[in-house]
Amino acid sequence: MIAKKSAPSWKQWVFPCLVGVILLAYPWVLGTVYTNIFIYFAIFSVFAASLNMLVSYLGVLSFGHALFYGGGAYATALFLDHIEGLGLFTVILIGGAAGAALGLIVSPLLNRVKATAFALLTLALGQLAYMACLKLRFITYGEDGVGGFPIPDLTLPGIASINMMTAENFYYLAVVVLSLCLLLMWFLTKTPFGSIMIGIRDNPDRVDFLGFNLPMTKAIVFVISGFFAGIAGAVYALFQNLVTPDGAFHIMTSFTPIMMLFVGGIGTFAGPIVGSGVMTIIEELATRYTTQIALFNGILLVLVVMYFRTGFVGLYLLIREKLFQKESS
Amino acid sequence: MAEKKLFFNLCLTLSLMAALVLLPHGGFAQEVNSSFNPSEMSDMSDFDPNNFQQPEGDTIKLGYMQIMSGAAASNGELFWPIVTWAAHDINKRGGILVDGKKKKIEIVTGDTQGKPEAAKKETERLCLEEKVDVLWGTSGSHLAKVIADVAKKYKVPFMNCLALSDELMDEKNFNRYTFRTLSNTTQWNMAMAYYFSKRPETRFSILCQDYMYGHSMAGAFKKHLKKLKPEVEFVSEDYHQLWLKDFAPYLTKIMATNPEVLYTADWLPDGDNLAKQVRNMGLELPIANIYITLRETLKALGVDGTENLINGYCFMSGDTPQTEAQAKLMKAWHEQWKTWKAPYDSDTYAWPEVVLGSTLNDTYWLFDVIKRAGSTDPEKIIEVWEGDVFQSIQGIRTMRADDHQAVYDMYISDYTYPTKEVYPGALYSEGFAGPGEIITVPQKYCTPPVPEGLKGRAE
Repeated sequence: MIAKKSAPSWKQWVFPCLVGVILLAYPWVLGTVYTNIFIYFAIFSVFAASLNMLVSYLGVLSFGHALFYGGGAYATALFLDHIEGLGLFTVILIGGAAGAALGLIVSPLLNRVKATAFALLTLALGQLAYMACLKLRFITYGEDGVGGFPIPDLTLPGIASINMMTAENFYYLAVVVLSLCLLLMWFLTKTPFGSIMIGIRDNPDRVDFLGFNLPMTKAIVFVISGFFAGIAGAVYALFQNLVTPDGAFHIMTSFTPIMMLFVGGIGTFAGPIVGSGVMTIIEELATRYTTQIALFNGILLVLVVMYFRTGFVGLYLLIREKLFQKESS
Repeated sequence: MAEKKLFFNLCLTLSLMAALVLLPHGGFAQEVNSSFNPSEMSDMSDFDPNNFQQPEGDTIKLGYMQIMSGAAASNGELFWPIVTWAAHDINKRGGILVDGKKKKIEIVTGDTQGKPEAAKKETERLCLEEKVDVLWGTSGSHLAKVIADVAKKYKVPFMNCLALSDELMDEKNFNRYTFRTLSNTTQWNMAMAYYFSKRPETRFSILCQDYMYGHSMAGAFKKHLKKLKPEVEFVSEDYHQLWLKDFAPYLTKIMATNPEVLYTADWLPDGDNLAKQVRNMGLELPIANIYITLRETLKALGVDGTENLINGYCFMSGDTPQTEAQAKLMKAWHEQWKTWKAPYDSDTYAWPEVVLGSTLNDTYWLFDVIKRAGSTDPEKIIEVWEGDVFQSIQGIRTMRADDHQAVYDMYISDYTYPTKEVYPGALYSEGFAGPGEIITVPQKYCTPPVPEGLKGRAE
């Protein structure tokens, strides 16, 4: 006899509802500056979460994830710069498609290497994109980047056309698109495909013996991860109305989500989101008092690596466990 | 009949005399709206850039947008004594009367980090959170463009006194909240081309930074020099990444092409690093430049390394202050500089010259405009600044109403050694060359027309 699942109590809805209300009210309560900061945080959450798919679920460390993020950003900016009349969601999907296409293109190369070689190859590919972007001035406008392209309104046929140039309107778009991305990524980790990913991370030979096509599975993960990084890049391009080689492909653009992963906690889905939040807050606070922001980030990373390698999420779980044990005893 | 002829001859002679007197001053007499007079400067003996006293209460907030961190942080440091000097002076005079109240100048810093994304974020913070009244900046045309866009969005006047690219103020990018007090790439290169058209060299190498400004400068130089001197040959043309450390591959190529002049528009830190490496590699050819003027760099290059520098700028003082006002400012600054602590005790800050002089001049112009507007209301500032004619310490500056581009005479100098005393007991430089004879290129030879789409805009 199967026990009937009890109906969710109203208490389970309190937290999501509270988050929803906070997200709705956020731009009106905190103003444009903090709204923009939140958009940065949301973009980097998705970017870091897409990297997390490789690091935490596939067990490979990419030093060049900006390749997909920058690819998505540039694709969006260039399409808007050259083609009139593109819709908002179309260009976001174009960004995602560019990231996915790049994932597909590099997957045969990435499938050939493991561990350190994988990290170095991704680093090389990221830097290749960076240099190409600087040198192909006739396409990318070099160091100046692609800027000033038209930002399409959000058109709801027959209902309204919403201007996306205001921070508040853009905030809601970014929150919806990026939340959807996070939900999809989370859902993927809960599917049988997600289990195969974890299987590859823990014991690739065993997954191979079980009859799964290892290179194909990895290629699919690269494509999916590239797609979400591309979406993050597309939202970034729309938000900034400017895409430059430094912002899109620079080595620090690849290292930032890695730091976010470490700070938030590798091996968990929430890690990159928490890491993005912590680093955004630190950066914002540090900017007000010093120009040495990198120093603060560096100190934080050293502290995390030395004293709590599971990151903030791990620390939270540890504290919760201790408290729970206390209550039980 | 004879009387009529005599009268005609007299009139002609008088006209020619008037023209001869007026032309060197940039054309026909312009009615000056206001001026910067160093005699009115307050006692600056308590000024210290390391310890700028920010006023409290209701102030006029100036957003100092510069590169304060990263590889090009020296730019942020360089102009800090300039804005603080002018602000300190105005504050000691009691401030500026705006909206019926005397307000002092407060400076809020925005760090562009040399990156467009950071420039956008910081400009937004300054406009929305700090609520600055005006924006001041900035090194890097790609950064200035971002700042100008944000300034337009939030309707905050932006004085661009450092970014030169023509594109910043063309039909596509012009916005009525941005005013460029510095010459643009065409002005500078028309002057430089005019100068080189009179010199014997015909083989030029170009090495500039690989972005909007570098390409804009090189393009304008080639175009205008070719027009004036068709036989000229550009034997190499290269563009390097910003903040480059090693120029050897480019210089090796340049050496192979055997040029007579190296043209570069590089700014800090690239310009200085390039000049050092050029001389270290044994290239002794003249370097036509705009920003290789920092005295620390010139000192490192020594007499031999600096004698072949040809510098062009809209403000030049050097060892021969051209006016009494200039000399007075030079003395007040230099005497005070002797009391400053690191990093401002370095030779770089010894004199308010070239880019330091021009930005100081422009900062006073900005404050003067606010004073005359009697308000920090952007519309009132725009009204006063459009078409304004300002007597600076180095000639008259006119802000064209249609495209918000300042026009004026340009100056070029071939660096020579030894240099003279600026005033008794104060040698201009020891151990390196400086501006010798300063050649004035009147604005009629170096003023580009207003972009077609902006003509008559302000009418």
